[in-house]
Amino acid sequence: MEKNSKKAMIITLATIGIISALLLTFVYEWTTPYIQANQAKKQKQAINEVLPKVEKIKEVEKNGSVFYEGYDASGNQVGVAFISSGGGYNGVIKIMIGVDLKSNEIYKISILNHQETPGLGARITGKKFKSNFKNKPFGDYTVVKTPPSKETQVQAIAGATISSRSVTKIIEDALGKINSAYGGGN
Amino acid sequence: MSLDFKQVVSDFKNGLWAENPIIRLVIGMCPTLAVTNTTENGLAMGLATAFVLISSEIVISLIKKLIPTNVRIPSFILIIATFVTFVDYFLKAFFPGIAASLSIFVPLIVVNCLILGRQEAFASQHSTPRAIADGVGMGLGFTWVLVLLGAIREFFGMGSIFGFTLLGEWYRPMVIMILPAGAFITLGILVGIMNQISREGK
Repeated sequence: MEKNSKKAMIITLATIGIISALLLTFVYEWTTPYIQANQAKKQKQAINEVLPKVEKIKEVEKNGSVFYEGYDASGNQVGVAFISSGGGYNGVIKIMIGVDLKSNEIYKISILNHQETPGLGARITGKKFKSNFKNKPFGDYTVVKTPPSKETQVQAIAGATISSRSVTKIIEDALGKINSAYGGGN
Repeated sequence: MSLDFKQVVSDFKNGLWAENPIIRLVIGMCPTLAVTNTTENGLAMGLATAFVLISSEIVISLIKKLIPTNVRIPSFILIIATFVTFVDYFLKAFFPGIAASLSIFVPLIVVNCLILGRQEAFASQHSTPRAIADGVGMGLGFTWVLVLLGAIREFFGMGSIFGFTLLGEWYRPMVIMILPAGAFITLGILVGIMNQISREGK
């Protein structure tokens, strides 16, 4: 068979393709359980970060969104965690929010994923900015550039007003969805 | 087939300095500029690229006589893509933190012209031992420059190296160093310094 004949070219490429597909099938089979375990672990960690003393997590679907209900060791509902995402300054921001339905308060938030500018918008993951939402009552928040004087005011990060506003809007969206799914707790 | 040991050593050294992919050949710029904002990212990217480079150079130097010249480029790309997919799954499974920070740049190793370039220029024309030497040399050459770039940018941009804070609270980080502009500035200065050094060596 001539080396550059059509037949030789087709056979060569097909052979390489088949061998490569076979090898990758094994690699996929081998790594998938680890990858899934990593994702599940990351999610559980994020829920534990936003809801205090949660032992058991139950996934509930309401109005087409998934909520994570957290229960403590004695089976009482601690609160609900919810993942909400929206556009930031630079790509999608994904936030996990933990709320207390009895007092209608946010426990804590955790930024799962973002592509904000390092050093500026990326500071939304910092403690200082996240504390803006810690133990805050549900409500309409306004973003301000000076230290907040009211509970519903959120202090923006200097140089990253858009990122700060985006996070605030994503949280307001999430609270709206939690309210409509759980009837506002009233 | 007789193997010239000196030849292998010189193939290996070639990639470290004389034909260093980044500072001499100036190829593989996409990951060089994009992921070197921290030292750890630079190291992970360098090692991932080196692994793909070495593995595909071995395979291609072994089967070079079987590949019809008309389809050599698609054959090389298929082999490279197989190893890259392997690295991608491997990092996601065992180093999820690194996989998350390199994100899209792991699959993009497929189109790193350093890798295809070495297959075309070296592995497809030389024996396997020489191809391994070339792959290891080029891979390490790529890695050390990425680590150096990452270290410089992380030091000035965040005041730390490998995540350890070296400069205290008093240091106001130069944010530009971890933004894309900082990559261009650092790389330009680095290439300039390296050129000066090799000129003086002559």
